[in-house]
Amino acid sequence: MERQVQLRVEARGNDELGRLLAAVARGEQGALRDLYRRTSAKLYGICLRVLADEGEAQDVLQEIFTTAWAKAGLFDPAKASAMTWLSVLARNKAIDRLRVRRTPGAPLDEANELPSGDLSQFEVLEQAEDARRLRDCLDQLDERARAMIRSAFFDGASYPELASREKVPLPTMKSWIRRGLLRLRGCLER
Amino acid sequence: MTDEFENDREALAAEHALQLLRGDELRQASALAGSDPGFAREVARWRGRLAPLFGEVEAVDPPDAMWTRIEQATASAGNSSNVVMLRRSRARWRGFAAGMTALAAAFGLILLERPPQQPVAVQRPAAPPLVAMLGDTDKNMKVVASWDPASRRLVLAVAGDMPADPSHAHELWVIPEGGKPRSLGTMAAGKQMHMRLADALAQLLQQGATIAISVEPPGGSPTGAPTGPVVASGSLDKA
Repeated sequence: MERQVQLRVEARGNDELGRLLAAVARGEQGALRDLYRRTSAKLYGICLRVLADEGEAQDVLQEIFTTAWAKAGLFDPAKASAMTWLSVLARNKAIDRLRVRRTPGAPLDEANELPSGDLSQFEVLEQAEDARRLRDCLDQLDERARAMIRSAFFDGASYPELASREKVPLPTMKSWIRRGLLRLRGCLER
Repeated sequence: MTDEFENDREALAAEHALQLLRGDELRQASALAGSDPGFAREVARWRGRLAPLFGEVEAVDPPDAMWTRIEQATASAGNSSNVVMLRRSRARWRGFAAGMTALAAAFGLILLERPPQQPVAVQRPAAPPLVAMLGDTDKNMKVVASWDPASRRLVLAVAGDMPADPSHAHELWVIPEGGKPRSLGTMAAGKQMHMRLADALAQLLQQGATIAISVEPPGGSPTGAPTGPVVASGSLDKA
């Protein structure tokens, strides 16, 4: 009963954020300000978790809101909640920054690795039962795969970084994670 | 064999959503996401599947000065001189549109496939498909944009040379009559591009609205308004 009320409150909060994003898409500055008030702490937390650097996290936070200002029209409330959409945007932007930082003076080739900016990067598709299932299914993975997947998610670690951190060959790391991800999918789809 | 292929694709979608990939693998996955809607959907689905993990991240209040920075970065968007520039180039290209019709026909793009008609009793009058012919100032590149309001699908076909400059992106804009430019996103490399627009943007693609392409930093305009030169534009008209 209490849980239902809680869920309803969350759903309503998300609806409001969705409405704010729609207003931002129409170019309403006031809506951007409200959106910032309600979401910036969480998004800043995501940036800090990936970057572990306040200055960089602040730069990326600015980038998130300027991007939201420009691309809010790509948000589709039928596909994901506004908070999820913004969180994915925050994580992706923070990881972009991480990749640039880790390739100082990178040749053009490395710079090109940054996502090309194709529209699909703004697509997020979630289902109501995702949260409940994910925890159960992650618990069913072996500990190594779970730890690597979590590190990729929270720290933005790439395959080469995880391989060198764990001191295993790259193909070994790929096979651990790939198997984990496919098992995770199998469990989530059940 | 097929299972293995499916598994590879599925894993690639998950790896791309997690951003584990670097180098060639990343380029391949990005290209696939830009060209294969099924793959893009799988990546989007993985982003959603993993999103509950955000619940574990602790919120941290950013410094007070942050909002001022963001406000300054976004305040100028929409009322910059770029709007004037876009309007001017719209006028310039209006006369060019007629000659582009043949090109659109060559692409066979004027009428998009319509979703199968549902035998539904109550109907709204179907909005007609619209087409915009976009040409660049040097006539080296022509783009035909076809918009089908019923399916909210925008298809772009590029003829000629789209300048491929890795240090810049091409960003697509819609400018409603009397309105300011709204971004439709950056364009992936390639001769054809499909996108399905969310409602808020779909409403802006009306007859008379201008479609324009500007040159922007990688990832698109940082301000929400066009910041670079407009390389092509044209207005939407009935097919």
